[in-house]
Amino acid sequence: MGIVQALLSVFLDDGDKLRCINAGRLRITFLLRSPLYYVCASSWGEPESVTRSHLEYLHLQILSIVTASQLRRIFERRTNFDLRRLLDGSEPFLFSLLGRMELDLAMATSSLNCLQLDQSLRVRIAEALVPTSKMKDTLYIILVARGQVITLVRPKKHSIHPADIHILVNTVYSPSIVNSPASASWIPVCLPKFNPAGFVNAYITFLHRPDADQKYYQRTTPENNESADTTGASHVAENSQGATSRHTTRLVEDSGIGLVCISGGGEFETVRAWCDIVTQKLNDDGSLDALARAVDSGKTSYFASQLGIPGLRHFVYKSRSHVQITLPAFEEPYDTLDAKRRIVTLYQTVHDAIHAKSGQTGNLKLQCIRTEKEIVMGWITQPFELYVVLSPRLPKAAVINAANAVTRWVKKEEGQLFLRDAPVF
Amino acid sequence: MADAASGSVDRSVQVKLVLLGEAAVGKSSVVLRFVSNEFQANKEPTIGAAFLTQKCRLEDRVLRYEIWDTAGQERFHSLAPMYYRNAQAAVVVYDVTKATSLEKAKSWVKELQRQANPNIVIALAGNKVDLVQTSAMSSGSTPSSESEDEADDATATPGESPSVSGGEPESLRQVPREEAQAYATEAGLLFFETSAKSGEGIVEIFTEIAKKIPIEHILASTRGGAGRSGGAGGRAGGAREDVNLEEQQSKKDGCNC
Repeated sequence: MGIVQALLSVFLDDGDKLRCINAGRLRITFLLRSPLYYVCASSWGEPESVTRSHLEYLHLQILSIVTASQLRRIFERRTNFDLRRLLDGSEPFLFSLLGRMELDLAMATSSLNCLQLDQSLRVRIAEALVPTSKMKDTLYIILVARGQVITLVRPKKHSIHPADIHILVNTVYSPSIVNSPASASWIPVCLPKFNPAGFVNAYITFLHRPDADQKYYQRTTPENNESADTTGASHVAENSQGATSRHTTRLVEDSGIGLVCISGGGEFETVRAWCDIVTQKLNDDGSLDALARAVDSGKTSYFASQLGIPGLRHFVYKSRSHVQITLPAFEEPYDTLDAKRRIVTLYQTVHDAIHAKSGQTGNLKLQCIRTEKEIVMGWITQPFELYVVLSPRLPKAAVINAANAVTRWVKKEEGQLFLRDAPVF
Repeated sequence: MADAASGSVDRSVQVKLVLLGEAAVGKSSVVLRFVSNEFQANKEPTIGAAFLTQKCRLEDRVLRYEIWDTAGQERFHSLAPMYYRNAQAAVVVYDVTKATSLEKAKSWVKELQRQANPNIVIALAGNKVDLVQTSAMSSGSTPSSESEDEADDATATPGESPSVSGGEPESLRQVPREEAQAYATEAGLLFFETSAKSGEGIVEIFTEIAKKIPIEHILASTRGGAGRSGGAGGRAGGAREDVNLEEQQSKKDGCNC
């Protein structure tokens, strides 16, 4: 920690910023978000921009717990403040974020991955969620399942930044909240892209919970090939518990349907009464049932093989106008954790290249990587970005054909893949 | 004794109750034992506050506890008034194996007596009494499960597990029962030693609170819609009461109570 600080200050003295140190396979990446410094050592081989974005998300999650202005005030008063005192009890949020970031392609592409759902059902649910005039301080109402957004109702004047949604969804699905036996949680949270200086209140309740036994699975992560992110602040020692707690972090992959109501005011009773009424309404008209059935039966995800495109193994399609992605569930040969990690890293590498994130010169429209096991291609156009993984023996023409076929399929299914025209109030 | 409500309910009285106390003394575990008769080791710390309800039968009355289980971390302290402002009862929890947690409990009691509803019923609960019982059950005496208990503490507040470790379980106790009892009597509190793990004393707290709550007073004030602290909030609460009760009844089959 002392060395890190010495290094950083040497560069700061020259009006420069230390970005990263390469040492063989190991890269040490730094992110300075005064008053905090973030440091990550990784030997996984992902582009530097990816590590930086992970550290940036970590910073946003910390801001969601202690606002930017609180942080500034505290460190102005006491430069040697131990931040762990303020984060006490919030470690699960950071651990679940670390687990999530590793494989979450929506976070990697700064977009949203909504739950695939029948369009008319989505619309019906969204309409039930439009708040009444009594709910005067309501900011956003979000319905989530499987860690994905089903619908989002917002005021006309505020849109919501994808990063805020990711932080919020991570918060909702961290064990402190999702495993809580309470019927509702009411937590102060800061949405850093909305307002880094203040808290809003989040009312979180799960409308439908599956059997407790099926609710979570234990994560088993091999230790050797993992990028170890550690939070470091200017005067905060790295969290010594990080390494161990991380392995016992439970990732929730359940079909619990969560209703999240973000309010600028403190009127818990009003929010609760309204949420109870909404829940009743969704129950009565059968949409909650329909939703639960869709989630439980796996209709909310699809496989690449269902598209019937020769050689296609996986893809990520980002609609740039919706700022949303859609992707199939990982299947053979990418169904193991290691294989998923490898493919996600390849996606990140291609994404980094076509966005010239690591200072590459010129914007590429198309980038193709051929490994022994597959071809990964990234293609950027005005309306969309597409990343496809294909069998390695495919000729070039077939690669292009497959990419075109994916875009045609997405166009056709757009209605249920993306969240469009969610109501505003 | 307190019992889950069953069958027809004529009149149920809503009692708002808040749990306060230092981090990791077992507030959530106390509520979980009361609401679902369960115990979870290695519980994650509560964030903000969690809301739970439980019905409780007392003679011919049914009480519906609306429970605010608050987070004990210091950074949430400023939010506490939001929860105790309209509360009719409070359970202030400390950990019998940690002397400082009683000091924190005392400061909560002081704050409640100064700022909460003047009629508030306050109970003091010394939790984790299973850790200091030699004769009770096998769990307390075997060294292996004892270290498990300590591990529970460690997860909730890293680095704050009881300083006295090993030896006789009784040596873990840092707050003598008599001392806490004397303080409770002096301050006019109900007092219990509890174990959320074994269930000891948990139902008793809520039953004794129920007996001490001025039920007629609550009924009168909610009916009339006046004379209740909170002004506008109180009135709105009165209007919603019927809705909530009906919902609770229709939901009852689905939940644990």
